[in-house]
Amino acid sequence: MFDVLIRGGLVVDGSGAPGRVADVAVNEGRIVAVEPHIDGGARRTLEAAGRVVSPGFIDPHTHFDVQLLWDGAAKPALEHGVTAVVPGNCSLSLAPLKAKDRAALVGMFQQIEELPPAAFTEAFEWTWEDFAGYRAAVEPGLQVNVAPLVGHSLIRLWVMGADANRRAATADEISAMQDLLRASLDAGAVGLSTSFIDVDENGRPVPSRFAPFSELDALAAVLGERGERMLQVVPEFYDTDITIARIDQLADLSLRHGIPTTFSPVFDSRLTPDNVPRTMARVEEQFARGARVWPQMQTRPIDISFSLLRPSLFFGRLPRWVRVLRQPLETRLASLRDPSVTDRMLADCGPDGGAAMMSELVVRGGDAAPAALVGMTLGEIARQRDESCARALINLSLEHGLDVAFVAASRGHDDTGRIGPMLAHPLMHIGASDGGAHLASFATYGDTGYLFSEFVRKAGALTLEAAVKKITSDTAQIWGLKDRGRLARGQAADVVVFDPATIGRGEERPEFDMPGDGMRYVRDAIGVDAVVVNGQIVREGGRYTDARPGEFCGVS
Amino acid sequence: MPLSRQRRFVTPGPEETLEALAARALPEEPLEAALERVRGWNLHIFGMRQPRGLLLGSDVVFVEPPLA
Amino acid sequence: MSLVLAAPAAARLECAMVVGAEIVAGHDGAAELLVRLRHENGVEAPVVLDPATGFGVMEAAGVSRLDDLVGRRWLDILREL
Repeated sequence: MFDVLIRGGLVVDGSGAPGRVADVAVNEGRIVAVEPHIDGGARRTLEAAGRVVSPGFIDPHTHFDVQLLWDGAAKPALEHGVTAVVPGNCSLSLAPLKAKDRAALVGMFQQIEELPPAAFTEAFEWTWEDFAGYRAAVEPGLQVNVAPLVGHSLIRLWVMGADANRRAATADEISAMQDLLRASLDAGAVGLSTSFIDVDENGRPVPSRFAPFSELDALAAVLGERGERMLQVVPEFYDTDITIARIDQLADLSLRHGIPTTFSPVFDSRLTPDNVPRTMARVEEQFARGARVWPQMQTRPIDISFSLLRPSLFFGRLPRWVRVLRQPLETRLASLRDPSVTDRMLADCGPDGGAAMMSELVVRGGDAAPAALVGMTLGEIARQRDESCARALINLSLEHGLDVAFVAASRGHDDTGRIGPMLAHPLMHIGASDGGAHLASFATYGDTGYLFSEFVRKAGALTLEAAVKKITSDTAQIWGLKDRGRLARGQAADVVVFDPATIGRGEERPEFDMPGDGMRYVRDAIGVDAVVVNGQIVREGGRYTDARPGEFCGVS
Repeated sequence: MPLSRQRRFVTPGPEETLEALAARALPEEPLEAALERVRGWNLHIFGMRQPRGLLLGSDVVFVEPPLA
Repeated sequence: MSLVLAAPAAARLECAMVVGAEIVAGHDGAAELLVRLRHENGVEAPVVLDPATGFGVMEAAGVSRLDDLVGRRWLDILREL
């Protein structure tokens, strides 16, 4: 008698080998057989004919550290087929953290993840200081597996207190940081994260940025000592030359300490077409030397969003708009109500009334925008109102206290013909979703579905098998996650059953499910039938189950 | 495979000031001109940071313009 | 370790010039400013500025339309930033 039997699906096992129709049997959290026909009863049988059965997807760049304390599924990641997440990126984790430093960390998290304040006061109780304590607080409620990083900024904060973002560490302090990193790794962290770009809520660089390279080198030595643990870095990704300099630094650390490293994000843009090719050329050179420096690229395009509550460079070619939108709020409101001002603003837009620039803008929702308008284009709204697009944008904003967000979709990293081959590159690590971050700015969920809908089905840039391998066994190997990423006997039974003809991501929509009725943007999963974590069904028929099988991932 | 030539950079030494770094990186230049050059090549330090010009231990500081 | 640079005597030091300016989508979902510079060695390269820096650069240059950045000396803009 098996615990779970998944019958008759196209098994795409994560190795990259062609899919084959087979049954998958699961017992005690492990895959016990993958065979054309498996006899024997099962407590639960999932009929998967016409569906793909694959290893669970692994998301290597998330910020679910806080959300996991009240939502062990990291919703909606799990329903997209993600069975393991890596939180703790960008130098920020929730441990180790002394009680006296909590306020400082909350500020950093609010800046980077856009979590509402209530998330830190209503949704959980701080019961821990060290990493083992955080693990004890979060692991019992997990539905998804977790492979957490420990944040360099946290380690600095613990050892140096308020000096963490003021100065270099002393030799004794670096030694104490090494000990703290050892303890965190021994308690379940899979590696260390650091950041070269992030700032706190006051715009001040986070502590990790005050560390000279020698400090990072000392910490990387611990990663090597504990067995090829990962170093994750956020470089100055807006500048190719700096990114290449960081690649070289990471390569030095990788070679010296025998560790894997990864950096994210890497973006493509029509206006900086050399960025990814130059980056990858350097990555190839460093891999040829034996270094492991894995770039992470997201699958989804980048949107531009804005409201008239704050100035946006979206209007950078319209000088009167720039001048008005940079005014203090009350002055700005007065200007926007003054027809003589708005007439001149409209004159900036040319004879089409802003149609070319603005007609495809979409009302996002989640703010003061009327529900009936959410999802409509400004062009449609302008026609309804019998106004020009620019006039409609101003008037609609004014009618709702300027709290109406618009999105210009797919304005960067959006050329599928270019990005497909980049994602397929053998040294490109697909990730960088930022799941659980940027909550009030855009949805960070559904990148795996988008990989299949856009780059497998539509563009054919990757085969189904190659795409599955990229986000399962490749990820597990890069990160050294033990017994994950493959559908094979003895592996952890993390399984996704999905429809290859429909898997994708839903439209972005606001959801008010954060603590304190906080809003975030999400995308629903499409085409994912069932999700199994460690041998237990956690998602089936569009519903979550009560099972809590998630755990901290071991490293090999 | 030999590494291709990339844009040269330095990292700040312990407690190193920008003046000292500029003098170290461009010893043949008068200090004022060296500072101006370093400033022009490193917007991430002189433009995109508060306070502007704050030198961090982790910084990559370019000591030449972008390469062709 | 911070330093405020006074306007230098070498005010006409050969330096980068702005040769283009475009709006790009930033990682955080905001519109950002890409400034294309022709450096003193003749090489053209872009820099991407976050919104605060982008508006700061426009203000420092005294322009309210990004195309008007073209032709400006980069060091002159930085000095006013």
